[in-house]
Amino acid sequence: MHALFVSAEDVLRRAAWTTRSAELRLALFRLACCLVAYSLFYGAMMGTFRGLTGQDQWLQQMAYSALKVPILLTGSFAIGLPSFFVLSTLLGLRSDFGESVRALIASQAGLAIVLASLSPLTLLWYASSTNYGQALVFNGVMFAVASLAAQYLLRSYYRPLVRRNPRHRWLLVTWVLIYVLVAIQLAWLLRPFIGSAGTEVTFLRSDPWDNAYVVVARLVWRTLGW
Amino acid sequence: MRRLLTHWFQEVDELLRGEKTRPQMLADRGLEVGAGRLMVAIVVMGMIYGLCMGSYSLLKEIPPQLANRSDRYMQVLASVVKTPALFFLTLLVTMPSLYVFNALVGSRLGLANLFKLLITSLVINTTVLASLGPIVAFFSLTTSSHSFIVLLNVAVFSVAGVLGLLFLLQTLHRLTNLEQWRAHEDRVVRLEPSAGDERPTDETNVMENLSALDMPTGDVLARHTRTVFRCWVVLFALVGAQMSWVLRPFIGTPSLPFEWFRERQSNFFTAVLNTLRELLFGGG
Repeated sequence: MHALFVSAEDVLRRAAWTTRSAELRLALFRLACCLVAYSLFYGAMMGTFRGLTGQDQWLQQMAYSALKVPILLTGSFAIGLPSFFVLSTLLGLRSDFGESVRALIASQAGLAIVLASLSPLTLLWYASSTNYGQALVFNGVMFAVASLAAQYLLRSYYRPLVRRNPRHRWLLVTWVLIYVLVAIQLAWLLRPFIGSAGTEVTFLRSDPWDNAYVVVARLVWRTLGW
Repeated sequence: MRRLLTHWFQEVDELLRGEKTRPQMLADRGLEVGAGRLMVAIVVMGMIYGLCMGSYSLLKEIPPQLANRSDRYMQVLASVVKTPALFFLTLLVTMPSLYVFNALVGSRLGLANLFKLLITSLVINTTVLASLGPIVAFFSLTTSSHSFIVLLNVAVFSVAGVLGLLFLLQTLHRLTNLEQWRAHEDRVVRLEPSAGDERPTDETNVMENLSALDMPTGDVLARHTRTVFRCWVVLFALVGAQMSWVLRPFIGTPSLPFEWFRERQSNFFTAVLNTLRELLFGGG
């Protein structure tokens, strides 16, 4: 537990082991542990909605939500990684690939840490309101705040790489686009993260899979009356 | 087998890193690549992407009258076969005119070198495609909107195509400026660094550390060759797009029975515009 706290502080303050070239594997392992542990924690807190609003199966929902947040973060990362690898090679940045990946994982870990730090706010919100829609929006805001913080961290981690070769900036923008594209769809598939009242708790919704972007487009058209 | 695979991957890797197309390497040995091995690479990478693209048909609901399970797998098989075929057929259609016009404007590139150059750019193209494959497979398996998947694939092909053709132009640029590179080398030798004078060394480092997509500074393509290749790049993109229309379906419409080829009608660009309109205004 203590090691996790120390690692979290190190990630946020960009301690030497998170940026040094030596001991890359150990650093990646520690960062991955941080990522999984803190995202697991926020997921569990996110899933307490049912418990705090007096519904049954709350423990099951907590467990599911706890699993889903790390799956969301690591899944989006894994799906985008092959293209990141090929693009970084093609742009002549292959020698920095290890460092780039470490920066990406560190910022993912940072995102999970920020999310975990925001979890008391989420709990307070759940305790204040039983409205499912509002809980959903509130969690959306928490994810947005954490993503902004992670973006800030990612830029700091990337600064030495960009200084070495400005092309890293383009690669970073490409990565963020790919990651967001995949993460939104994966989050849509993995829903529900909170669990609405009066519905059976399931790991995934029983509706057929669909595309988040298309659903949003349909919603917009319907709202506009088209 | 393992050794063969390692060797094969190493060659693709060296191309991606730009090691095979460094000006000095090209000046010393020309474009030294195994065309046969690279053609295998195009086939394998194309098949990987075809598998990802064809996976759309795997989890979709199909009307009861079309409920023949083998159709889904046949569509995947068709996509796996057709994707590499798309590249080779496009090359087959466009290469003769490129060679003729290239010779006409007095380029020193012979047929064998031209072929190697085009094959290497297709390797880059298909490798980028294959690397984007997991993203396409993820969306294909989880999306029911056919329009979205069609447009996603068009976007992915465009990105890979742009990078592949950019590689082609940069490598061509280096190949046609070998004389300048040699002159540069002579200059570096003549200015053999006296202590403290680091400029030639720096310049040499920059030239040696170019990535596969970097344009060496100060060089300009022969004007006619540049025009021919630019026109050819546009032609290749147009032919590739229309070839994909001729070879369709690559993705497969769940409401239609499986066919290896659809009947001839319309064209690629009209179809993409219609798909875009359907996605934006037809509810996906």
